[in-house]
Amino acid sequence: MKNESLFEALSARARSETPPSVDVAGRVIAILNAEQSRIEQLTEKPLLWLAAASSAFAVSAVVIAIMVYNASTGPLYEISQAISWVVQ
Amino acid sequence: MVLSILPGRIVSLRAERLLVELVYSLMDSEFVAEDRQKTNASLAAELHDVRLSRQGDSDAYTRLIKQHQSQVSRMLWRFSRDPLVHEELVQDVFVEAYLSLRSYREKAPFGHWLSRIATRIGYRYWKQIARRGETESFSLAEWDELPDKSPDEMDPGRAAEMLHRLLGQLRPRDRLVLTLRYLEGCDVAETARRTGWTKSLVKIQSLRARKRLKKLFAQAGKGLRE
Repeated sequence: MKNESLFEALSARARSETPPSVDVAGRVIAILNAEQSRIEQLTEKPLLWLAAASSAFAVSAVVIAIMVYNASTGPLYEISQAISWVVQ
Repeated sequence: MVLSILPGRIVSLRAERLLVELVYSLMDSEFVAEDRQKTNASLAAELHDVRLSRQGDSDAYTRLIKQHQSQVSRMLWRFSRDPLVHEELVQDVFVEAYLSLRSYREKAPFGHWLSRIATRIGYRYWKQIARRGETESFSLAEWDELPDKSPDEMDPGRAAEMLHRLLGQLRPRDRLVLTLRYLEGCDVAETARRTGWTKSLVKIQSLRARKRLKKLFAQAGKGLRE
C-alpha cells in the first residue's frame, strides 16, 4: 500500500476517535468575570485620576485665593498703596 | 409474481417496491420537516443566548459553552493531544469568543463561528511550539511497522496519535491544511471557511503540503510501501 493511501486510511480511522470530555464552563466564566473586573478597574482609574487632579487644583486655587485676599487687605498692602499714591 | 398489499388491488412486485419507496420518502420528508423545525428552534434559542451573552448574561454564555464544548474539544484534540494543553485551548476558544462576541454577525450558526476561532487558536498554538522548536519525535520506522492491510482494524486513538506525530514534522501551515482535509474530513470550501483562506489558496496549500509529506517519506528512504 502506498504511504499516501495508508495516510488516508489512517486519517479515516482517526476520525472515529473520541476526544476526552472537558467541562470548561466554570473556568471560562471565572476568567471572564476576572477580566470584567480588571476592565472595570481600568476604566475607573482615569476617572479617579481626574477626580484627584481636579481636587488638587481646587485646593491650590483656594489657597492662592486666600493668600491674595489676605495680601490685598493687609496693612502692608495699604501702606504700599499709599506710597504709590504719594509717589504719583 | 404478484403480491397484494392493498385490499382489492393486485400490483406487481416492482410497483409495490415503488409504492413502498414513495411511502418511506413521504415519511422521511415528514421527519425532515420535523427535524428542520427542531433545528430552527434550537438555532433561535442559541441566537437568543448569544444576544443575552452580549449583554453580560453569564448563564446564557454557560449554556452556549455547554452546548458547544464537545464540538470544540473534538476539533482541538487534533491540535494538542496533551490533555492539559487541550483543555486550556478549549478554554481559550470560549474566552476569545466571548471577548469578540460583538463581531459575530449572526449570519452563520454560532458553532461555525466558533470553529473558525478554534482553528485559529489551534494554529496559533502550533506556530508557538514550532517557534520554540518543540516538535514531537517521530520515527518513520514506526510507520513502516504498521500492518499493511488492516488500518481499518487499528485503534482510532493510535491511528490519530501516529498521524499527529507524523504531521508534527511538517510546518504549521502544511500541518493545518492536511489536518483539516484528512483528519477532520473537511472539503475545500469548509477548509477555506475555517482557515479564512481562499479556496484556491487551500488547493495550492494542500498540494504543497502533500508534496512535503511525500518528501518526508522519501527522505527517510521509505518512498512507497509495496
